[in-house]
Amino acid sequence: MSDSILVTDLDDPAIDEAIRLLESWRVERVGGAQLAEAVGTMTGARAVLTGAEAPDLLRAAAEAARRCGYPLIVECRDETGRRRAIELRAEEWYQPPASAEEIAGRIHSALSRRVPPAQSAVDRAEHVEHEHMLHDSLSGLPTLPVMLERSRQLIKERGELVVLYFNFVRYSKIEEIYGWEKLDAVLETTAAAVRDFLDDASDEPTRVMVSFTNDDDYIVFHVPAQGMKAATDAEVTEMSSRLERMVAARIESSHGEDVAALFDIYVGHAHVYYNPKVRLERLIYRGIREAANAARSVEERERARRVADLRTSLRERSVYVDYHPIVVTDTMEIFGYEALARGQMRSMRSPEVMFDVADQADLVWELSRLCRSRALEGLDGRLGKDKLLFVNVDPHDFDDPAFNEKEVSEPGRVVIEITERTAIKDYPKFRERLRAFRDAGFRFAVDDAGSGYAGLGSIANLEPDFIKLDISLINAIDTNFIKQNLVETMVRFANDHGAKVIAEGVERAEEFNTVRDLGVHLVQGFYLHRPSATAPKEDRDAVTPRKTAKT
Amino acid sequence: MTEHALPPILVVDDNQDNAEIIRQYLEIRGYPITVAHNGDDALVAFEEVRPALVLLDVMMPGRDGWEVCRLMRQHPDLGKKVRIVMVTALDEWEDKREALQTGADDYVEKPFDLPSLVVTVQRNLAMLRSTS
Repeated sequence: MSDSILVTDLDDPAIDEAIRLLESWRVERVGGAQLAEAVGTMTGARAVLTGAEAPDLLRAAAEAARRCGYPLIVECRDETGRRRAIELRAEEWYQPPASAEEIAGRIHSALSRRVPPAQSAVDRAEHVEHEHMLHDSLSGLPTLPVMLERSRQLIKERGELVVLYFNFVRYSKIEEIYGWEKLDAVLETTAAAVRDFLDDASDEPTRVMVSFTNDDDYIVFHVPAQGMKAATDAEVTEMSSRLERMVAARIESSHGEDVAALFDIYVGHAHVYYNPKVRLERLIYRGIREAANAARSVEERERARRVADLRTSLRERSVYVDYHPIVVTDTMEIFGYEALARGQMRSMRSPEVMFDVADQADLVWELSRLCRSRALEGLDGRLGKDKLLFVNVDPHDFDDPAFNEKEVSEPGRVVIEITERTAIKDYPKFRERLRAFRDAGFRFAVDDAGSGYAGLGSIANLEPDFIKLDISLINAIDTNFIKQNLVETMVRFANDHGAKVIAEGVERAEEFNTVRDLGVHLVQGFYLHRPSATAPKEDRDAVTPRKTAKT
Repeated sequence: MTEHALPPILVVDDNQDNAEIIRQYLEIRGYPITVAHNGDDALVAFEEVRPALVLLDVMMPGRDGWEVCRLMRQHPDLGKKVRIVMVTALDEWEDKREALQTGADDYVEKPFDLPSLVVTVQRNLAMLRSTS
């Protein structure tokens, strides 16, 4: 009369006991090999209980149970059994010896967890995706729809809301230079700073909430304290500048000045007043747009100011050069220097920012000329006599009539670095220009090699004397075997073509040891030297790294 | 008794025979192995087993290995720690660059010889020890 049957191949008496506890159930025992077949044919069966000792039988039982839509409970004697049960997505498992109560409980909960066949895993996977929609995986902050829902009631109560829009601007070059991993790390630092800011703010009578737009920007909802009529402008300004400072300081301390210089934060705000006639979402989205526009106009003002700074820098020739030593991997001797031009004005400190501004203002050639002539001053005694000077040249500079092979007194000491990133439009003409420089004694390096997907073909085209590996390949190379494989390929390629490979951005002993073991010829990075206006004293002599490298 | 001595590994392969061969070979060496046969199951097992290393086949129906790799990397507390080894041939430069984008740590070519698979597993688990 009862149709609740537990099918099993186990003879543990506790199972019978458990069934008695469940009332109106009975146990049907079937020999191991026949279990799967029995599950399919037995009418009234509702659940399957089996052991995990024989993997094939377990799998067959699980498949049969799934086909029929019965929950599966597995008795697991050990860790291996438990893993098998998980793999087969058993609803429940338990470890013997188990009491009748426990077994009954497992059967019961397996029945309640049962969802239509084969759906649960997909659901779980979709749940993962939904989580991504609700919370930004990088920052851990809620997305806008979530925040809107959470603040709905509060805005009605208080009648007012201030939307702050943090326009987090990065120079597009950050990914090109350091790779996406670095950018992710910076965004994570930012998110951590924002979260700390929120924790701080939670002591205050106001309510603050943050969302991340996925476009690096942050939206902050600021609801004034109970009883307070409105958020004053002073309060809003204070809050935004506090957050701004917090983020900027954190990026600088975790990632250094050079990286911090590539980020800017602009804040705009807008007031939203509750109005029962207008849908709340519409009010808020309008507020967000208004705040974003305000932030953008701050950004535009700032850009205009930067262009003015650049013009001043060009007029006063206020660009200085740091020289970053490039070292022979095996001997640690200084081989040469890369010239890094920087603006003297604070806003022009980062060369990337400086050139970015020049690009917008159509002043690239002027800036390039200034940086080049400053860099070449290094040949006049500031650096060791036999050392090479690596100078960055944009491919477009070759179109500048003022840039020619007669410009330099000692071309044999100059290596022209061309970045792989800039697209070269007219290849034959470009190669012709290179030829003229090469004939005059200049050498060439391909900078940021391996940054794109292009591979080795485009590098071979330029017939470089040096290949500078992209920083993203060096960063954490000691723990990533795919990077090691790529660098190994590049070294082999260079050896076949008579070129030397330079690893730049080497910051840790582990990275140094790895690139050395891979046969990289030359190394440049903070692990060995920092860039400086003059050559280190030990120029010509062997250089001791800051920390002793393991051999 | 040494069951917990070695870190757990998740093997993801839609081909059951392949997965079984890997399982047996690694289990004999003492690694606790969990197998998943598609991307969705892999994501579920990933959360339940919390593996130290995932051997991830790229060519699978539904979510392919790259997508699974990306989703695992985004996992809030497991994503950073886990070592992900792709099971695929990465011959071209661009394939390897692409693999870096998804967050993969290493790869083994298919068809692999089992001893080199173990070497790959060991060198990645060694990284885990040295960085933790």
